[in-house]
Amino acid sequence: MHCVRKVTDDLYWVGANDHRTTLFENIHPIPTGVSYNAYLLLDEQSVLVDTVDWSACRQMMENVEHLLAGKPLDVLLINHMEPDHGASIEEILRRYPQVKIISTPKAFMLMRQFGFDIDGHELVEVREGDTYTFGTHTVTFVEAPMVHWPEAMVTFDVTDGVLFSADAFGSFNALDGKLFADEVDFDRDWLDEARRYLTNIVGKYGPHVQLLLKKAGGIMEQIKYICPLHGPVWRENFEYIVDKYDKWSRYEPEVSGVMIAYASMYGNTEGAAQALAAKLVEKGVRNLAVYDVSNTHVSYLISEAFKYSHIVLASVTYNLGIYPVMHNFLADMKALNLQNRKVALVENGSWACKSGDLMQKFLEEEMKGMTVINQRLSLASAMGEEKEDELEALANAIVDSIIEES
Amino acid sequence: MNFKTTQEHEALRAQIRAYAEAEIKPYAFQWDKENYFPRREVVDRLAEMGLMGIPFPTEYGGAGLDATSYAIAVEELSRVDGGAGVILSAHVSLGSWPIYAFGTQEQKEKYLVPLAKGEKIGAFGLTEPNAGSDAGGTETTAVLQGDHYILNGEKIFITNGGEADTYVVFAVTTPGIGTRGISAFIVEKGWEGFTFGEHYDKMGIRSSATAQLLFQDVKVPKENLLGKEGQGFKIAMATLDGGRIGIASQALGIAQGAYERAVEYAKERVQFDKPIAFQQSISFKIADMATKLRCARMLIYSAAELKEHHEPYGMESAMAKMYASDIALEVTNDALQIFGGSGYLKGMDVERMYRDAKITTIYEGTNEIQRVVIASHILGKEPKAQSAGGVKQSGAITGPRKKQIWKGGEVQEMVDALVDSLKQDGYDFTVGIPLDTPIARAERVVSAGKGIGEEENMILIEDVARAAGAAIGSSRPVAESLRYVPLDRYVGMSGQKFTGNLYIACGISGAVQHLKGIKDASTIVAINNNPNAPIFKHCDYGIVGDVAQVLPLLAQALDTGEKLPAPPMVKMKRATPKQEKPVYKTYVCGGCGYEYNPAQGDPDNDVLRGTQFENLPAEWVCPECAEAKDAFIQA
Repeated sequence: MHCVRKVTDDLYWVGANDHRTTLFENIHPIPTGVSYNAYLLLDEQSVLVDTVDWSACRQMMENVEHLLAGKPLDVLLINHMEPDHGASIEEILRRYPQVKIISTPKAFMLMRQFGFDIDGHELVEVREGDTYTFGTHTVTFVEAPMVHWPEAMVTFDVTDGVLFSADAFGSFNALDGKLFADEVDFDRDWLDEARRYLTNIVGKYGPHVQLLLKKAGGIMEQIKYICPLHGPVWRENFEYIVDKYDKWSRYEPEVSGVMIAYASMYGNTEGAAQALAAKLVEKGVRNLAVYDVSNTHVSYLISEAFKYSHIVLASVTYNLGIYPVMHNFLADMKALNLQNRKVALVENGSWACKSGDLMQKFLEEEMKGMTVINQRLSLASAMGEEKEDELEALANAIVDSIIEES
Repeated sequence: MNFKTTQEHEALRAQIRAYAEAEIKPYAFQWDKENYFPRREVVDRLAEMGLMGIPFPTEYGGAGLDATSYAIAVEELSRVDGGAGVILSAHVSLGSWPIYAFGTQEQKEKYLVPLAKGEKIGAFGLTEPNAGSDAGGTETTAVLQGDHYILNGEKIFITNGGEADTYVVFAVTTPGIGTRGISAFIVEKGWEGFTFGEHYDKMGIRSSATAQLLFQDVKVPKENLLGKEGQGFKIAMATLDGGRIGIASQALGIAQGAYERAVEYAKERVQFDKPIAFQQSISFKIADMATKLRCARMLIYSAAELKEHHEPYGMESAMAKMYASDIALEVTNDALQIFGGSGYLKGMDVERMYRDAKITTIYEGTNEIQRVVIASHILGKEPKAQSAGGVKQSGAITGPRKKQIWKGGEVQEMVDALVDSLKQDGYDFTVGIPLDTPIARAERVVSAGKGIGEEENMILIEDVARAAGAAIGSSRPVAESLRYVPLDRYVGMSGQKFTGNLYIACGISGAVQHLKGIKDASTIVAINNNPNAPIFKHCDYGIVGDVAQVLPLLAQALDTGEKLPAPPMVKMKRATPKQEKPVYKTYVCGGCGYEYNPAQGDPDNDVLRGTQFENLPAEWVCPECAEAKDAFIQA
């Protein structure tokens, strides 16, 4: 059964929702699914803007065939070649042998690398600033390198103000019937997943997101719709999502508050983390979240680390090093370029406590702009009464630092 | 080449030898004993003879002689007194040569001419506590403000320090990029903020002055930048290439002197019915000594000749310095051995020469570094290992500190401000611990340094300790040399470590080993009359003032009568340093996301650390995906 939605008079969403894939990119859990968005423009020529993951190919084909009503597809416009959007290109080429492909030179290279048989088709290589007319609609192309692949571009339909933004402004979560951001409670149901998507997939490339935002800023007046490749279409309140993107890509915290991430083997470090959380809330910190790194997928930890201004890392010492799961969290923060956070440390070790020094060294030497609060809670096996004062001092230091920042 | 010096060389040697034998030799013992700097006897006399600027052209006031002549002069002076030799060597090679080689016409006229004429003495300031063999650790900074650079920092072990009038000083102008951020400056003695530490009490070459240079907001006019910004390391290395000829000559001279004494003595001393010189064990020694001396001399003169003819001589001068100083130790050792018990007595030349020789394997590049230099000439650059972080930032020994210093105000006001700050930090002075609490277990310690003066002033320390509720500690010399307190009360890396909250250092200058012993203190307070004392760079609060004035007022301000017993110690909070933004800019590749970091360079493409993105060659491409430079954006 086809399932399409109208974006404008002659533009349709022809994507699909996916609840069966458990791991996006085979790494990030998506318990609430994801949508692969493709769009079909019915101008004098018919234009399919991007495709979908192989697993959703059949649904997209039904949608496209329904709208084309027996006519062939004229143009395939590819903004981004990652297989969650590009995999179905192969099927489109088979069904529409006459289809013309418009994309960037690097995207054509990737199509060949992925083994798509494009060379029998008319290929139109486009670059920054080129325009193309399909009848009444004229589009212009804007390169978006490293958001988050090198071949990526975004396409702007100058006729009706639609920006096909590729992976920018995308989100996890299946659409499940909704299409527009104003049809959902974005803040409540979508923001966390949008952040988790952006920070984990594109987090490392903040400077390039900034570059794209700057380019978009130049045409902001003309933009009426933002059509990303995942998640809802934006047609109002652009400044809300642009502001979020601006913060995330500048590595600025969204919220003044504390994320506590603990690594505990037998609950002793956990106990200290919980005691610290209670103390912080008592002292007026309301934005606070606590995570057990062993039982929380790192993509959630990353998303929260991007959200909060302050991070507490509490880790046991393991094989004279940092507990492996905590170490992985640190490595992921570094890989995703997270910067400019205030970090407090809690360390635990029963015979040679090393985790605090090692975490501090990692934060200061491997990451950028991470300030380690000069107050640490050091535990030997467990948090006893004698550590009350140190705990109090640590909580005060964190609260002072929050006050100082705001 | 005839492997011989010229007649002119030998005439010069004879002239200097005659002077040295007559005017230095008789006093060398006394100068050594008294740590006496022979300005009149050596510097002024050499100036009269026109020998303070031997290798510089006559137009700049020099003698216009060659590098070999200079080597001979240092050798002949050192033959009777190693200290006299290094006065000339440091003056010519280190203090004057860089101005001659890298100075502008104006700088040469203003500074080189009086140096070459011997009206002024020159010195060279490169070494620092954390920058010995590795100049990349330089921490002295020079910040351009208008028409001046503001110089801050310290230099240690500086030959001619305090006696010299002109100093070539190296300081960091671009932090974070290692040796490429170092620049050279000409600094004059007497400028405001430029002071000297105590004269070092050295093992040998005691007639040469060696001191610490201290810079506190010293204003150096822009025109005193030597060379360009960032060329400092290059200038230092080029200077040291030449300096090695001087040190090699010094080592040779010391060894030559010891050898001659030994031969004379061996011919006179009779045992088993004949002069010991004719005992095979001694004659073989003498043969070996003479051979080593000739080898060293040939190496030195050949390096000098290469330099004179502007041929590459860096490796050869390193070989000469390394070999001459290594054999100087062997030759002076053998010479003393030939003297037997008599050579072991003070007043014997060989005893002094034995001590004088040792420094030559250490300074102006240790012999280990000379081997690095020689090997690098032969083998080229070592393939670079991947470095994870950026350029190492060395912080203060005691970690980040507040560095709130009061100076120049009313003593009472400064003391009150200090006590207020301590109370605000949460110190409760109604409680206290006994004065004799072991340092390692003390929550608070009041420590005395040499600045406390006479032993009767220890009462001031006790009063402050009692009023602050603290135990008493000291610096190492106060316990070890002055013996004001028992040995177990001195604080430092080698003594007791203080890990409590409040440490009040009175009259302590702040030697590295002392600072390492207090790095875990929550709060460090320094009271010292020398504003350049290193302790001020490592403290939270400081009062610049005389301890005799400050301590009584401090005791009064802290006094709360009888102290209550202190509760179990609670470690206090320490200041969190702001993570400073790196000064260099990184750039991200649009083809793959690779980030170019100047602090790391691009070793695979032979781009040195410290190379800014804009200075990368136009043909440079991303090492990961081969995109061109224009695909990069600033991070």
